[in-house]
Amino acid sequence: MNDLLVARDQVRYEQKIYWRNPMAAVFTFMFPVIFLLVIGTGAGSGKIQDSTLRYNQYLVLAMLVFGLVSACYINLGITLCIRRDSGVLKRMRGTPMSMLSYIAGIVGSVIINVALITILVVSIGMVGFNLHFPYHSAAAAITILIGVLTFSALGLAVTAIVPNGEAAPAVINGTAFPIVFISGVFYPINNSSILAKIADFFPVRHLVKGLVGAFETGPGSGFQTGDILIMLLWAAAAFAFALWKFRWEPRRR
Amino acid sequence: MVHDTDTVISVKGLTKSYGNFQAVQGIDFEVRRGEVLALLGPNGAGKTTTVEILEGFHHRDGGEVTVLGRDPSHRDRGLRAKIGIVLQECAVDPFLTVTEAMHQRAGIYPAPRPVGEVVELVGLEAKQGAKIKTLSGGQQRRLDLGLALIGNPELIFLDEPTTGFDPSARRESWDLVRGLCDEGRTVVLTTHYMDEAQALADLVTVIANGKVVASGTPDNLGGRDAGVTTVRFTLPSGVGLDDLPIPGGCFPRVQQRAVEFSLPDATVFLHDLTGWAVARGERLEHLTVQRPSLEDVYLALTDDCVGDLERLNGLVAVEEAVRLHPSARGSSDGDRTDPSA
Repeated sequence: MNDLLVARDQVRYEQKIYWRNPMAAVFTFMFPVIFLLVIGTGAGSGKIQDSTLRYNQYLVLAMLVFGLVSACYINLGITLCIRRDSGVLKRMRGTPMSMLSYIAGIVGSVIINVALITILVVSIGMVGFNLHFPYHSAAAAITILIGVLTFSALGLAVTAIVPNGEAAPAVINGTAFPIVFISGVFYPINNSSILAKIADFFPVRHLVKGLVGAFETGPGSGFQTGDILIMLLWAAAAFAFALWKFRWEPRRR
Repeated sequence: MVHDTDTVISVKGLTKSYGNFQAVQGIDFEVRRGEVLALLGPNGAGKTTTVEILEGFHHRDGGEVTVLGRDPSHRDRGLRAKIGIVLQECAVDPFLTVTEAMHQRAGIYPAPRPVGEVVELVGLEAKQGAKIKTLSGGQQRRLDLGLALIGNPELIFLDEPTTGFDPSARRESWDLVRGLCDEGRTVVLTTHYMDEAQALADLVTVIANGKVVASGTPDNLGGRDAGVTTVRFTLPSGVGLDDLPIPGGCFPRVQQRAVEFSLPDATVFLHDLTGWAVARGERLEHLTVQRPSLEDVYLALTDDCVGDLERLNGLVAVEEAVRLHPSARGSSDGDRTDPSA
């Protein structure tokens, strides 16, 4: 059986499952949009230090990051923990399906979700806040894709420290939100502040900076090489940890 | 070593520990093509560990295991394509429909059976388009069974497949399993229902504390065929134990007017007893003749008290009868109040 075809089929089933269980979709899609409309409209278009972007334009990219982290790290991590608890992962492992195809199918579905969030949020930004179509569109697309890989790998890795499905939302949201907050997703944080120094250790702030760089007008390719490199390091570390510690079965007792 | 091509599963000296806990301590058995093996044993006896090693979920610590001629611990996909697994929990994504789940699973196998055929086989035609979360527990189990069969497996593992079924659904599942064997497929079944093992199994292996404590057919397990026969009836009014044609060395147990005889062979006794009753014009109310059921044998085998099994085999029947009912020894005073005696 062709593993690629199986993975493609799995993307289709994952999409059906995702849209038939609207709670995850509401959180991932509605939250960034509502936040963008409410805060973006209210906070206005003040200038940001050292950037060609206005505040509400920055917020568009920040909400895209929030949607991406939610779709990859939070949704993916919680879904896998629930499936592990209910025995779905074990069942799949008892079939001749390649587990790489299975995971690829799940991540493929996540990529579709992130593409939809990107189109939704950037369209709102362009219509409502005069956001420029990504000035460096190749850099924007590749940065988003690397973001998907990084946070999907982190979503796979975090399942190893989640004891069971009930604990999954607490552990996964609890690790995501503090980092999202200090990374300047809701308001820009000055590069020289202590919060920024702490946040610079984690990948979220680098995704924000990478996207800002791709959307800012100006010369160059728009690639933020340093930020991309740090994300890739996180992706590699998370993937290695997942390979080492990922569990297909619920913990005994 | 040459493997019989008819040998589907061969297990020799299998061991497995979790930390200090020795879950499996040297298990042997063999299953041939078209047979149904029932693995019986209390919870925690090592059944599931054994089965999950055969299914390729866990590595063994020691011993030799082959499944369809291969080592399941290598987890090769060719082997997994030939086996179907029903786990204890219904593990299917609740938001897919019955046919979607079947198509998803069918897409994984090199030579799947047609989805419509399997849906019909497990009796879910009326629920084809229903989301799995709307199915009843029994329907979900049937879907589970269907998903295990969709890949056209040679060997099927069923872990407590009919738990939660109503009696008619169980009978239907039994017919389905028998049909699988008629097609030359092999089935390994774990169950807590003795009637299920009796109805389906060619071989029964009882596991307790990580070891095989008995194996055989459902009819001869644990010496069941050679065990004692129990004859029970109600003593007709006005009749004392002394009046009965009791064979020498056999002591009945009496409670109120219910009499119970345990004998290695009841043929002659039954002939004498019924002859005696007919001659006297008495009726033997509630007359039953019983061999130990599979459940009796199972309970005796898995109970730590060895005495139960010995009792079943009639070795200590006499002593025990006397110990429990000393008044029953050759006299009828236990139940009769005859002032003239």
